[in-house]
Amino acid sequence: MTSYLYLYTHSPLIARKSGISVNGHIDYVSCVFTVPHVQKVISRTFEALGSQVKAESLVLSLSSSPVFLWPNKGGHATAGEISPNRPCKDLQQLIHFPVPHMYFIDCLSCLQGIINLTLMTEVTEPGVLSAPTLLRGSKKHHLLQTTLPMDCVVSVLSSESISVVCGTLVGALCSQLSDMEKVALRHMKGTALLIPQPFHFLLPAPVGLVTVVYPAGVPDSQLETRRKELHSLFELPDDRPYLRRANALHFPDEPYKDGYLRNPHVHLNHPALENGKPYLVQGVYSYHHYMQDRVDDNGWGCAYRSLQTICSWFQQQGYVERAVPSHKEIQQALVEVGDKQGSFLGSRQWIGSIEVAAVLDQLLGVTSKIMFVSQGSELASKGRELANHFLSEGTPIMIGGGVLAHTILGVAWSETTGQIRYLILDPHYTGAEDLQVITEKGWCGWKGPEFWDQNAYYNLCLPQRPKTI
Amino acid sequence: MGRGYIVEDVVEKYLSNLSVPGASCVTGLLIGQSSSQRDFVVLAVRTPQKDTEGQGSPSVSRGAGNSLEHLDVEWVTEHARQVSRMLPGGMSVIGVFLVTPPELSKEGQNTLRRLIFAVDKHISKGRLWSLTEEDVTEKVTLHICSKTRKVVCRTYDVRDPKSSAKPADWKYQSGVCTSWPLLTCSVGLNLVFPVLEMHVLPQDMEKCMKEGLQTWAKQIEDGLCLINGDAMPGEVELLGGQKKNAKAVQQTFRAQILIPMAEPQSERRLTASVKVCSGSLTLKGMVQCRAYLHSNKPRAKHATEVIKRDVINTVSSRVEMFLEDLLMEGEDKGSVGVQQVLPRRVFAPVPGMSLCVCDYMFPDECVSDVSDRLKEMLDWETPEDSIDTSQEAVPEAPTIDLKNTVVQKNLKAKSTLDARPKTPSEDPTEAHKSHKTYYAGVAMAAAIALLATGTSLIYLSD
Repeated sequence: MTSYLYLYTHSPLIARKSGISVNGHIDYVSCVFTVPHVQKVISRTFEALGSQVKAESLVLSLSSSPVFLWPNKGGHATAGEISPNRPCKDLQQLIHFPVPHMYFIDCLSCLQGIINLTLMTEVTEPGVLSAPTLLRGSKKHHLLQTTLPMDCVVSVLSSESISVVCGTLVGALCSQLSDMEKVALRHMKGTALLIPQPFHFLLPAPVGLVTVVYPAGVPDSQLETRRKELHSLFELPDDRPYLRRANALHFPDEPYKDGYLRNPHVHLNHPALENGKPYLVQGVYSYHHYMQDRVDDNGWGCAYRSLQTICSWFQQQGYVERAVPSHKEIQQALVEVGDKQGSFLGSRQWIGSIEVAAVLDQLLGVTSKIMFVSQGSELASKGRELANHFLSEGTPIMIGGGVLAHTILGVAWSETTGQIRYLILDPHYTGAEDLQVITEKGWCGWKGPEFWDQNAYYNLCLPQRPKTI
Repeated sequence: MGRGYIVEDVVEKYLSNLSVPGASCVTGLLIGQSSSQRDFVVLAVRTPQKDTEGQGSPSVSRGAGNSLEHLDVEWVTEHARQVSRMLPGGMSVIGVFLVTPPELSKEGQNTLRRLIFAVDKHISKGRLWSLTEEDVTEKVTLHICSKTRKVVCRTYDVRDPKSSAKPADWKYQSGVCTSWPLLTCSVGLNLVFPVLEMHVLPQDMEKCMKEGLQTWAKQIEDGLCLINGDAMPGEVELLGGQKKNAKAVQQTFRAQILIPMAEPQSERRLTASVKVCSGSLTLKGMVQCRAYLHSNKPRAKHATEVIKRDVINTVSSRVEMFLEDLLMEGEDKGSVGVQQVLPRRVFAPVPGMSLCVCDYMFPDECVSDVSDRLKEMLDWETPEDSIDTSQEAVPEAPTIDLKNTVVQKNLKAKSTLDARPKTPSEDPTEAHKSHKTYYAGVAMAAAIALLATGTSLIYLSD
């Protein structure tokens, strides 16, 4: 795996991701091997890994560049211009294909630069100097083989020297190894070993970026105790799932494999209103619209798509693990709750906010508030309510009128002048996932109050966050 | 247009000096390098004598007369295999030669064809790295008429069993390899091979080691190689910047090999795999590696290839030799838990050239054995003090399990002393098992060594 070196403008971050292959020999005396015995061997194996990480043969390779660093030799590097005393931002200039900027959704600072590092070992750096020997062992034992997915994050200043940075990196690797050892020992299933996996989370200031190790294969629901411990450690409120796996930070060169666009609204310029400010959706959602997933719902599926966008939000914030429902699944859910007859299945019938709320409840266990306006013109006065929603819940809003459905991602509102703008995500778009087209043509864009049909009535579905970790 | 072979002057001298009494034939090997543009031959070595009875052709049994039918192809190929082990990276057996009287010239061509295919096949056995498309698979055959000294040079593509002979140029030149660049590195080994439960030591040891080494060899092959601390793109010319007619001097490059600490993501498992093992094999230590490049615009890609191949070859050769030796000595139950020393690499200069070859010394051998072997295999005299044994240090005295008494080992050593012939064995297959039997044994020394270590034992407790 690759590692990342993040450089903030104020306090740069250095991260590293890599893997280490583990071979742990678990000896057993008789045919049954005991748990404490296995634990001892696991500890020994991690100890050996720790010494590998601290060895002089450890090499850090800068991706997309000819630079190699030997962190345990004082930060000695290959490329001539880099000496251990130079600031680490010099490393950025040697990268041929810089990773694109990353937008931290939850925080306002943007990362200046990202550098990837990979862990390697130099076989031509031998510690032992004598000719080879062969040792035969004949004890029966079990051999455990796995790869540990290491993924470290460290934050230092961009002006810090390379040698100091190297020392910090190695220290971070070692402490992650010890975290992994703790998790491995804590979550052993009898004598079976669950692979510890690290996840990064961006927590609200002053905590910042933390890395938590979870055992693979254990679902979030069974890790609540652990999350409670961490929430109190980091002094996090206990009604938001900050530390669920789905909320983990994604680095830029890990594209979302499903192909949907994430948060297209961050690429927009927000309107500047006198004494006004934008109140936006929090977190990550995917843009769902007409014609996606090979479903031709042009003309009837807009509310379904808005619902999918909302479901994607709950999935990506870690509240639910189920995937975004398809049109069929949405219709099925409505039949199940008795809202629709069986004939509804497979039809092209529109749905409204009430149905959206019902599906959210049925499939995701999410409750919603319904807001009703009898005329579109009334929406202009709903600035405070909408702003409060985005402040406290931060979920996307589905709005359905007599004719059309849309998703509201935010509101810009001035208390003094009463000016209002709505950030709209339009599910009627039928094109490809082209960010430029979507933002330039206004498929995701800020609209004024004239956007609404002034005479039509509208229902708004405001999904509420479940209070859970 | 055929290939062009540029051959060292000393080879001409050697070939012309080959004594060919009567109507018999001489076979031998041609050693050098092949590049896509040109080929270089730096050494010619005759096949050694099979038995000590008289001189004459070593590979044709006495009294066979004028026929090439009795040519011992196996003997020639085994010689080629032994010699291959003695060549550092870059250098290899790239052809065979045959000296015959004029009346056997025609038949000689067929023989050469048979020989070159057999030699290549035998040398490639047990090779842990794979050839790439850029590797030259044409090998050269040289026929010399003993009367007229006329030379006929042809090449065959050993990849194609149906390939026909292509004519090639054979040109003598001096100083062919004076400026051949040298790459060096020392590689640390710390490998543990599991012995899966279905295998039993020591019978399956070869299989387990081979499998384990295959994985390691792939890691080395796929690893990144730095040359003088630089990760050069493959197409960069190593000797770039040198003036065309500058004084030919041999440059030395330091190689470093880096391998990733984990398998690539696509091959990663999501769960830990657990295997039941009945034992383990641990290979630890350092190996000294060397490789030569040619001087015809060598590229970084080629350089990384030759040094990596030498790394893989030296480890696999030693293990092979160790296992062959073990097989010869018979099953030794007492060696479990004992750290056994693998043969260590020593280097010797090629007379008159700036190249060196290598050999492997078992713990119970000494420099004179190496010297004898060089004479036998490569047909030249090497003063003992020119043999460099300092590159790989002798490991500390191995710990021995007291349970296995020294007496038992001593007896065994004694029995091998008797069994080991003073001269190459009559039976070719026996002799092929270990090249140690090509010369007088030193089993006596081995017995003494064991006794000595026997008195300073360390208990191995579970």
